[in-house]
Amino acid sequence: MGPFNTPWLTFIAWIVALGCVLFSIIWALCIFKPGDEDE
Amino acid sequence: MSEPLIYTLILLVYLGALVLVGFITGRRTKSVEDFYIGGRQIGPWVTALSFVAAYFSSVVIVGGGGFGYMFGMATLWIGAINVLLGCTVAWIVLGPRIRTFTQRLKTMTIPGFIGERFQSDFACIFSALIIVLFMIIYNVSILKGMGHIFEVLMNVPYVYGVLISCIIILFYVSIGGYLAVVWTSFIQAWVMGIGLILLTIFAVQRVGGLTAVNQSLGSIDAGLINTPGTWGWPGLISYALIVSFGVWGMPQLVVRFYSIKNLKVLKIGTVVATIGTCMALLPYFNGAIARTLFPSLANPDLAIPTLVKTTLSPFGAAIVLAGVVAAGMSTFSSVLIILSSSMVQDLLRRGMKGEITRRKSLFWGKIGSLVIGFVSLLIALRPPALVLTLTAFAWAVIASTTLWPILFGIYWKGATRWGCVASMIGGCMTALFWMAAGKPFGVHGFIPGIIVGFVLMVLVSRATPKFSPEHINQIWG
Repeated sequence: MGPFNTPWLTFIAWIVALGCVLFSIIWALCIFKPGDEDE
Repeated sequence: MSEPLIYTLILLVYLGALVLVGFITGRRTKSVEDFYIGGRQIGPWVTALSFVAAYFSSVVIVGGGGFGYMFGMATLWIGAINVLLGCTVAWIVLGPRIRTFTQRLKTMTIPGFIGERFQSDFACIFSALIIVLFMIIYNVSILKGMGHIFEVLMNVPYVYGVLISCIIILFYVSIGGYLAVVWTSFIQAWVMGIGLILLTIFAVQRVGGLTAVNQSLGSIDAGLINTPGTWGWPGLISYALIVSFGVWGMPQLVVRFYSIKNLKVLKIGTVVATIGTCMALLPYFNGAIARTLFPSLANPDLAIPTLVKTTLSPFGAAIVLAGVVAAGMSTFSSVLIILSSSMVQDLLRRGMKGEITRRKSLFWGKIGSLVIGFVSLLIALRPPALVLTLTAFAWAVIASTTLWPILFGIYWKGATRWGCVASMIGGCMTALFWMAAGKPFGVHGFIPGIIVGFVLMVLVSRATPKFSPEHINQIWG
């Protein structure tokens, strides 16, 4: 069992959503370079 | 203050704000480009949150609660996949290229982009026809859902619920166009978010905390807290994929990328949209909580309304009600503007070979949105059985038709005109027939639709003449 008596496989759904938020921040700050495509 | 009065006051304040936005944006809508894509000047917050509001209709909130009630916590995965595929990956994969390519091709609509990218009037008109036909049906289902919500939550007769929602939406869309749609959707996203968060906090508190929620659910049936639980992997995964990957072909969402100010806006937009879409988990979660409190509801769709009415104060319940109505209105208005643009820009202008001037286009755009709105209203007042049956088809058919032409159109230089035409017709017809055949093997029509569309796009593109380097260079730069 994971936190709050939640089975781990179910709890991971929350982690996936949180992971997306973190990844979007990393993508925006470090990966995406608009460059000369921007018009 | 009596309960109905509180409901009415909160709703009036909310609806009044929408009308005000209609007036303000109406003054700023001067050209046809303003009317359909906000003059490509929309900032990150408004683009992102209006995307979230258009993504989730009231049917999703009430229906999602129903799924949570029936299948328990495993349905949180639907929300999680919504965030991952339906939002974050969609924004990263589609956003930058759609914004750049549509600017280069000077198109304002999805069928317009497909027509210019693949240099095919047929592809443009076919996709516009599919969008107009099936989006009207989709719109009717949203309107119908809103009528039922007014009925269940406020005891307002169905007909009045439909009339109130539709007339206010028609007012602000026909005056302010896309600007009104995105700004009202921006407000609606906040109302939805606040409503859902309020409901979640009070519902968890009522049961006695998160651990108590899980213990209580587990004591009813261990399958209600496990994944995949009582639903099973095939049902859970296929449904999650349909409502997440399918949005990549839905014009009312893809058009958000047309209208953003510039590519730098996409950075903040992607983060804001991802955070906003996380609210997708809450209807499922609250539906599961409702199961612990009311284990024997006759209809699972009553899970959220019952939870709202019995958990929150009348003031809080009124905010959640406004949130549910907001979800429906934002989706309806987004679909309405897409319908108007497809009908006027793609069918009328292209059909008449550009004889309608840009000034007249704006006029016809406004008339078009009014006509389509009234048609949807008339059908929704007494929906015939055929419309209700076709509602289940609408989403699968539109996504199966437009998904690959959009995706291959921005990522594969080798995609050809005939590949696009074959993919659209094959994908659309497969989805249509599969659904008409009663979803063999329990698989939704969207899945075979996109498989056939994908195969046809690749095979036919390889076998037919490529575009000239000039055309490709014009798009890719």
